[in-house]
Amino acid sequence: MNRVWTLARKDLLETRRDRLSAIFIVIMPIAFTTFFGLMLGGGSDRLPLALRDADGGAQAERLVAALERSDAVRVVRKSAADFEPWMADGRAAAGLLIPEGFSQAVEAGEPAQLTVVSDPASSGAQAAAAEIRAAAGRLVAADRAAVVGAEAAQAAQGDQGADQGGQGAGQTEVPAMAQAIATQAMEEPAVSLKTVQAGAAAGQIPTGFVLSSPGMMVNFIMFSLLTAGMALIMERRYGTLRRLMTTRVRRSELIAGKMAGMFALTFLQQVLLIAVGQLFFGVDYLNDPAALLLMMIALSLVASSLGLLLASVLTSEQAMVAAVVIVSMSVSALSGAWFPLEITGPGFQFVGHLLPTAWILDGLRGIIVQGYGVEDVLPAFAVALAWSAGLFGAAVARFRLS
Amino acid sequence: MTKIWAIAWKDLRSTMRNVPALAMMLLAPLALAGLLGFAFGGGDTFQIAATKVALASTDERPAAAAGEAAPPLAGDTFAGILTSESLKDVLDVTEVADAAEARGKVDDGDAAVAVIVPRDFTSALYGAAGAKTAVELYVNPTQEFGTAIAESVVTQALLDFNGARAAAAVATAMAGGGGVHDAAAQAAAARFVRDGGASQGLVLTDREPLVTGEDEGDKVAPVGLILAGMMVFFMFFGASNVARTILTEDAAGTLPRMLTTPTSTGTILGGKFSSVFLTVTVQTVVLLVAGRILFGIDWGSLDAVTLLTLVGAAVASGLALLIIAVVRTPGQAGAIGAGVYLVLALLGGNFTGTASTSGVYATVQKLTPNGWLLLGWDVAMHGGDLADVASKLVVPLVFAVVFFAVAVLRFRRRYA
Amino acid sequence: MGIVEVQGLRKQYDPPKGVLAVDDVSFAIGRGEIFSLLGPNGAGKSTTISMLSCLLRPSGGDATVDGHSVVSDPQAVKSVIGVVPQDVAVYPDMTARENLVFWGRMYGIPGDELRHRVDEVLELISLVDRQNDRVDKFSGGMKRRVNIGVALLHKPKVLYLDEPTVGIDPQSRRSILDGILALRDQGMTVLYTTHYMAEAQELSDRIGIVDQGKMIALGTHAELVKIVGEEARVDVTVDKALEGMVERWARLHGVSRASVEEDHAELLAEDANEVLPRLFEEAAAGGSRITTVNVTEPNLELVFLHLTGRALRE
Repeated sequence: MNRVWTLARKDLLETRRDRLSAIFIVIMPIAFTTFFGLMLGGGSDRLPLALRDADGGAQAERLVAALERSDAVRVVRKSAADFEPWMADGRAAAGLLIPEGFSQAVEAGEPAQLTVVSDPASSGAQAAAAEIRAAAGRLVAADRAAVVGAEAAQAAQGDQGADQGGQGAGQTEVPAMAQAIATQAMEEPAVSLKTVQAGAAAGQIPTGFVLSSPGMMVNFIMFSLLTAGMALIMERRYGTLRRLMTTRVRRSELIAGKMAGMFALTFLQQVLLIAVGQLFFGVDYLNDPAALLLMMIALSLVASSLGLLLASVLTSEQAMVAAVVIVSMSVSALSGAWFPLEITGPGFQFVGHLLPTAWILDGLRGIIVQGYGVEDVLPAFAVALAWSAGLFGAAVARFRLS
Repeated sequence: MTKIWAIAWKDLRSTMRNVPALAMMLLAPLALAGLLGFAFGGGDTFQIAATKVALASTDERPAAAAGEAAPPLAGDTFAGILTSESLKDVLDVTEVADAAEARGKVDDGDAAVAVIVPRDFTSALYGAAGAKTAVELYVNPTQEFGTAIAESVVTQALLDFNGARAAAAVATAMAGGGGVHDAAAQAAAARFVRDGGASQGLVLTDREPLVTGEDEGDKVAPVGLILAGMMVFFMFFGASNVARTILTEDAAGTLPRMLTTPTSTGTILGGKFSSVFLTVTVQTVVLLVAGRILFGIDWGSLDAVTLLTLVGAAVASGLALLIIAVVRTPGQAGAIGAGVYLVLALLGGNFTGTASTSGVYATVQKLTPNGWLLLGWDVAMHGGDLADVASKLVVPLVFAVVFFAVAVLRFRRRYA
Repeated sequence: MGIVEVQGLRKQYDPPKGVLAVDDVSFAIGRGEIFSLLGPNGAGKSTTISMLSCLLRPSGGDATVDGHSVVSDPQAVKSVIGVVPQDVAVYPDMTARENLVFWGRMYGIPGDELRHRVDEVLELISLVDRQNDRVDKFSGGMKRRVNIGVALLHKPKVLYLDEPTVGIDPQSRRSILDGILALRDQGMTVLYTTHYMAEAQELSDRIGIVDQGKMIALGTHAELVKIVGEEARVDVTVDKALEGMVERWARLHGVSRASVEEDHAELLAEDANEVLPRLFEEAAAGGSRITTVNVTEPNLELVFLHLTGRALRE
């Protein structure tokens, strides 16, 4: 066991001595995460909504006013020339085009046109679009209800006898009172919608950054297999690996030592990234430290066993770079590190969930936002353990000394 | 000039014989694009799996007023809407017995959203004015899309109910006294629903943002932009593979040997720079052709594509040479290069397309040369003309020039 | 005036206090001559040859090759020299032919002439039937042949060989040495560095012995050996009475010196073969038996030892 530790320490020392690479492994992910956090971690801001009102009529104004009152979106008025470029540039979450004739249609009780512009791949866009539909829906529904209600009332009165007089049938003008009642009834509806977030840690509102932080960490850890595995490849090249085997070191100790080194490296990276996320961006990893520790161990186990396997099998640095890049990207994509798996098709989700990293990511996100505890992450830990054992076994079987 | 070409051709040929390099440069982007294309269901449209919903209706029939029939259970109607055929692709609804079970499903991860219809749902709708209640949406906060979709559907459904209620309220108020108002209210509500409900007055058209040059109705398959992103990313690696030979050849002795021939340092470096540029250009062309054949991608007009290819190659080459000029060993070059490329790709949206939740990401993307290249490819694929594309290439070209300049300066010092 | 003239060449790494790798070295190489720089590792041989290849700038002094200065006219120098580096420096993933074509281009040989020349060189290095095989598939000896072939493409006037036979098998070494001799016979001038005395002795017309950056001796083999005289050294061990024997032998005609060194006697004699029988007679007369006899004819190792007090092979 002593020898394993010695081997691991040597590897870490070598890594540290390569100052440039060391700086890179450590500083880069932190710098990137910090940058991203600053960019995206702005809390639950109102989503910018580009708006072009080509109509200008009373109903259009009412709709705009309703949207301006919303705390889900922030209206930004745009001219015809600016609207499309702004949307194409991605400067707004979603856009609303109110065409000429909108107000007229609404007042006439005819179907009124609206165009909602959004990127179907963006959840923010969908949320903003939903808000538009809700506001517009309320408005139009109110108008509709007023008309229908007034006519029904009229019809009922008409039934009672023509001696009421005054208002004749076919009256198209809706009395202001009807409008007022209908609007009131829609603004303060009988049945509203209450959204409650699951999880004990309901205090945390998941911003884009909070949800993407664990994904980025997984991505960087996978990528750092490169530096970890590269050292092993170089050692094989220089012949020092072979030489180690002429000492009393056993093959299993050698391999375990290598893996221990990689494990320590990736674990350290996680500690740094989690610290930065927790301390500076309020990503609540420490909601359940025990569960978090399990997930960190799981991730390092998977990463180091994978790195070991790649380094065992490949012979040149070039092959290593190629393999790590391809594998880490595929795994990241399939595990939901880049985009949530919920927006992908069922086939992709199925394949994704064969991977331990998908489980680990679910676990991490669960800890942060849903208050997952140890029992909740145990399945993920088990999957990771199984995968690591398999990868490690393969690595040992294929391990080459030269 | 012959010497520069000789060096460039030698390196290109060497790359063509290097299996790991080819895997990285050609196989990886195509495979990953295919994988991601598979992720998003391929084809023209963006598909999302139906959101899993756990529905619990605790709605109770209110006591009927004397002499009147009890109103129908609105909760059942509501459930009927959510489980209707038309919403099958959007919501995957499982009805459960009670609220606790519904929330439990979300907590367990079996459902993204739980919809809980309250006990007084019908009472609030049919009861006295001023009665209020709420439908609860218990959501898994990590499933933003599912949540947004479910919210949207439920909101829409509630509009119908509330609208009918509003119509009834108007009728009641305007019909005056007497028993007449009840009949009027019922008639109003019934008619509101019959006429098509809240959505009847509104014709909502959804579309995606228009990219310069696109005609409305043009559809560009997502796989095109995905492959463009992968292509730009792996061009970085293609460039770095060749650039790294500056260091490896130095160690192997063939670079110093070149210096014993009557070939100037300038020619040798020029040859190496050309190697990198040539290799990346060839890589891009192969990927463009493969993208067309395998995925049917229409990259755009020839002159736009040519410009994008050349500027992209310049950016990739410049950056790779800069990294080599700064590091000392090939190992460092590999590791640091990979890290830099990864960060640039994440910031530039190479992996995630241009999807974003706020306008900030769009700004971030524009800090990277590859981000601009992607915007350029986006425009080209949507049918933009040369001028539109060229406007996106000013910034990356500046980046490329700066990269090259710094690389040359540092190389000069090292190989003086 | 030699084709290569070296005047006071100096190289100091990291002045002013850094290592002085080459300290005021001067020599000349005549046309068609094989000149060796002989010295132990670290003597400054590779540094000297690097300066003469225009890879390193001298800190002082100058050298001319075919009239061109390495300091002021390096490109002209490079056109007339062919450099064979110590480690094989060719592209392993290219064939022998592809390598020759590429390097030919680097030497500026134009198209048609290049094709022709490549064929000639392939003949010269006996790789015509393997010309389309990748170099990484070649044996060590074959790789070295390609390595040398590259340097011959542009018909240089002077060929530099930096330790060409280090670590290779006797057969390949033999063929390389024969090849160099053949080239010299065709008029090539050769500058050759080595720490193997036997090679320097066999190949060279003249030898420069270098140690710790300085040229400590220069001349033909015969001239150098004269430095230690023409005497052979005879090392003898006996079964007993060593000192007594040494005294007796010292008085023998033909023995110029006899001393006791640790466990054996070291004698210097003008003609070892003539003296040996008398040593045996004397030993018998003295009642001792000679157990081992070792004769070392005068050679460069002795010269080096004489000049520096250290062995050539450290």
